[in-house]
Amino acid sequence: MDKLKAQLKEQILEALSLDEMKPEEIDDNAPLFGEGLGLDSIDALELIVLMEKQYGIKLSNPAEGKEVFKSINVMAEYIAKNRTR
Amino acid sequence: MIVITGAGIISAIGNNKEAVWSSLKGECCGISAPRYLETSHSQLPVGEVKMSNRELAELCGVSQEECTRTALLGIMALREALQQAGIGRDETASMALISGTTVGSMDKTERDYLSCGSVDVIGDCETSTLQMASKVGDFGYITTCSTACSSAANAFIAGAELIRSGLYSKVAVGGTEALSKFHLNGFNSLMILDKEICRPFDATRAGLNLGEGAAFMVLETLESAMERGATPLALLSGWGNACDAFHQTATSAQGEGGYLSMSKALECAKLTPAEIDYINAHGTATPNNDSSEANAIKRLFGEQVPLFSSTKSLTGHTTSASGSIEMVISLLAMQHSFVPANHNWSKGMDEGLTPVAKGMEGVELNHILCNSFGFGGNDTTLILSKFNNSTSTKDSYTCKRLEQIRAQIVCAVDYNSIAPEEMPAIPPMAARRMKGMLKRALVTSLVALNRAGNPLPDAIITGTGLGCVEETLAFLNEIYRNGEQLLKPTCFMNSTHNTIGSLIAIHTGNHGYNNTYSQGGDSLYSALLDALLQISLGEIESALVGWHESAGERSVALYVTKYSENGGEELRMDNIKEICGRYCL
Repeated sequence: MDKLKAQLKEQILEALSLDEMKPEEIDDNAPLFGEGLGLDSIDALELIVLMEKQYGIKLSNPAEGKEVFKSINVMAEYIAKNRTR
Repeated sequence: MIVITGAGIISAIGNNKEAVWSSLKGECCGISAPRYLETSHSQLPVGEVKMSNRELAELCGVSQEECTRTALLGIMALREALQQAGIGRDETASMALISGTTVGSMDKTERDYLSCGSVDVIGDCETSTLQMASKVGDFGYITTCSTACSSAANAFIAGAELIRSGLYSKVAVGGTEALSKFHLNGFNSLMILDKEICRPFDATRAGLNLGEGAAFMVLETLESAMERGATPLALLSGWGNACDAFHQTATSAQGEGGYLSMSKALECAKLTPAEIDYINAHGTATPNNDSSEANAIKRLFGEQVPLFSSTKSLTGHTTSASGSIEMVISLLAMQHSFVPANHNWSKGMDEGLTPVAKGMEGVELNHILCNSFGFGGNDTTLILSKFNNSTSTKDSYTCKRLEQIRAQIVCAVDYNSIAPEEMPAIPPMAARRMKGMLKRALVTSLVALNRAGNPLPDAIITGTGLGCVEETLAFLNEIYRNGEQLLKPTCFMNSTHNTIGSLIAIHTGNHGYNNTYSQGGDSLYSALLDALLQISLGEIESALVGWHESAGERSVALYVTKYSENGGEELRMDNIKEICGRYCL
């Protein structure tokens, strides 16, 4: 799981062009949207693309993303459970 | 007073006014599976004009290779408008043509790019406007507004200014947009397309359907119409442009931009909210737009919300052309005392507003308000009013004498001359989405504002020939390499030409007038002329005018204000070209 989380952080930073951030700066429990990292609705769409490209998980509705992208922990758990690649 | 003496339209529900009227009356929906657009998204319904490029070219009497689909659609509508106004080709030299488009030549660009992986020019709006113009007339001034889905509506405002300033007594204004694989995939990457026929203002709405088409109107002074013996069909009585300044693709929950554009338009028309008989809403059927627009309408109209509907569930969302297409639909509604149906509506949404679900006959429509909202919060409202003979024939606008058209340039900043210590810091969360040109544009604008003493300008007016080429190319290249799946929404979002102007507005919290001109090497000229005319007319006191191109890393920002004796360089009609020449090579 730790390996998945580390990999996921790298992928997120790349997909969202967060060039100046380091993976270790993202708290596994902190919310990705709003108060925490401060991502917005376009980032959510980029994360949906990432989920399908990297893990073969299809989210057809941005609202589903809201639940899945709560934090690195929630996201990693969801991926571990649902990944097809 | 500005009267409308001609109108032309082509859309999914008809190839001319008569056909569109018959579809509106019969509530015939023009949205279906893609037939002419080559796309793998056969599940996404679109509002296509039911003709191939070959058929359109034949009807227009041009060769298919000469014109983009955008231009072909434009020729059809522009010709119909001029014909109704009784204007022959020889008379067009004394006219201006302002078109709105964002797709521009993309239908051709993407065909070329996707067949070989390279293309000379990308993101060009000027060519399709010029193609259309040259087939129809010899217009004295030609330009293109490109503010995404409010482009055509902004062309009306730019045209109205040309008339009010006295520079032109007749203008043709409108917009044209062909469907493209590029923007169908772009909207799809934003996950705002419905796989069913869209349902504006419905609780179950789940996104929009893209459409295509073109519409143009001839605007002129009443005196000019009288002199020519042309019949005024209606008045363009009011207009308002404001920026939501909230987000590149989302609208603020309370619809600040739309509230402001509607308020400004009412003020311009000297009407009270109670005098509006019908609203042709923007109503795209995305959850975000309809909720935000409904809130803006409620804020402005309170308990007395007029009859309203969105006609996009009939035509599809014709993006840059929607402003003019819906103005022609509104004109037909007014002439036939008919309120068009908000097709496919069944369930009320939480915001509590109920649109006109079935077309209503016998409703006298004296004043119609028409909304067009674009990405980046470029919101524009136009008001159409009935013309009757008791309407005062005295022109209420003072046409300016040429020497009264003047402003002053307080400062001009060239990106390449900004000293390192003057570079403003851009917060990393904002900066990450700005590749080269967007960042240069923002930095140059902020330095110009800083040198002018950090004012909040009344307007942000941008010129760009090709917009954010890097992002447009990146998105097209992804389609080329990976097909029409899993595309990056950020690239599409930044590919619209008005990304620059709206980004500056978002960054500086500016809700004022916001417009973008995309006319090749004349883009700065058009932007500067807009500022000059509005300042001379007293519409605004100050404007931040910019010209930004990816090629050659050119970025220029000028802060322009009212003329005063001891200010900066004077800007006039006779030196505006020379001033542009200093920056545009």
